[in-house]
Amino acid sequence: MHISDGVLSPAVIAFGWIVSIVFIAFSFKWAQKHGSIAEQIPKLSVFTAAFFVASLIHINVPPTSVHLILNGLLGVVLGALAYPAMFIGLVLQALLFQHGGITTIGINSFNVGVPALISYVAFRKGSAMGLSKPVIGGICGGLAILLTTVFLALVLITAGEQFEMMAKLVIIPHMVIMVIEAVITASVVAYLAKVKPELLPLDKEDNK
Amino acid sequence: MKYPEIDKYAELDSVIHRFDPRAKIITFTLLIFSFVFIENLGVAFLTLLFSFFILLLSKIPLGFMFDRMKPGLIFVFPFLVIMPFAVEGNVLFSIYGLNITYEGVYYGILVFVRAATSIMFALTMLGTTKMDVTMKSLYSLKVPAPLVQTLMFSYRYVFVFIDEFISMWTAMTSKGFKLKANKHSLSVVGNIVGMLLVRSCERAERVHHSMSSKGYTGESRTIVKFKMQMTDYCLVAFLVGIALIFKMYEMSLL
Repeated sequence: MHISDGVLSPAVIAFGWIVSIVFIAFSFKWAQKHGSIAEQIPKLSVFTAAFFVASLIHINVPPTSVHLILNGLLGVVLGALAYPAMFIGLVLQALLFQHGGITTIGINSFNVGVPALISYVAFRKGSAMGLSKPVIGGICGGLAILLTTVFLALVLITAGEQFEMMAKLVIIPHMVIMVIEAVITASVVAYLAKVKPELLPLDKEDNK
Repeated sequence: MKYPEIDKYAELDSVIHRFDPRAKIITFTLLIFSFVFIENLGVAFLTLLFSFFILLLSKIPLGFMFDRMKPGLIFVFPFLVIMPFAVEGNVLFSIYGLNITYEGVYYGILVFVRAATSIMFALTMLGTTKMDVTMKSLYSLKVPAPLVQTLMFSYRYVFVFIDEFISMWTAMTSKGFKLKANKHSLSVVGNIVGMLLVRSCERAERVHHSMSSKGYTGESRTIVKFKMQMTDYCLVAFLVGIALIFKMYEMSLL
């Protein structure tokens, strides 16, 4: 879930923007080490668009319907560039579909972007330890949503005590999303490992 | 799945349409950022009225606008419903032991009104300029080029992938697939997402080759020229002035 305009205090909003700008600057630096920026931009854009479209898939979980976030998978596939990808995705969501607010783009990117980065690290660590890729993919997918939910609840609580109840209430639907995303991420990773393993961040020795 | 046709009415002619895109972005962003932090409900309602007035000036059909506003308002709707019960304070009345408080109702409405104001401004800003002009004006506002380029290309590819996804989806449903929250459905969705990624990766390579063969080096070039007119300066002064008046009124300086 994205936080809308008008909920948070100026301090939280400012924190979100500052952290996001720093992370985006760093991830472009990281990307430049792995190839020219001219090569990265088309890849980043195409993936951002693909994830944007994937997040439009709604799954009916009675009584409501949830949509995919897939930040764990995005982290696994894009590495540090997942942060700018999430940022751009949220800008497009806010501008094109009015999901979430304009002022909250910074903090919303933080909520989904940082878990994406963590799941990238977790996936590399896990596959280096020789765990099965779909399993570790599933764990990353679930973990990313779990962390996002924790961040979301924390942000709402820091916004003021009047939002405490909201913070508790957002946790329940997210647990459903967590399970769904874990299963989907596992199956995407299994699919990619079969069809296009170079998309997964595996070390060369793993690719035998 | 629908196309996000935000700039459907960008060809109309109005004061807001003729507003210089760069000035429009800066002024409207300023308005949004100053209005979402308003604490006084009365002032918040005034800003909502003001944003509606600007919307009327832009001559964009109201039906279209309200249709676009709906998803954003659905997002804040829970606040309106839950806050009256969640906040402690003076009890207005109680139903089945649940207390509805004055403070809760106040905050709930405040959040809702602030969000509605910001959505209205954002939609008016985007709805009155063609998306590509909006993006190009970001360049001249010195937003880092990699970011603007990624934004432009992703915006362009969103439409491509919506088409691609719809064709995959049609293929799936014509074979009798129904999306439910069970393991089989989810793993099928996983395969679709995987397929989307593989296709997009291959497309990214093709795009990169075709772009670099046309001389793309990651730098941005644009042939759109912007020029600020007298009316643009007046409009900026007017909008910023209104924002200042609201702020001063809220701090009871007026």
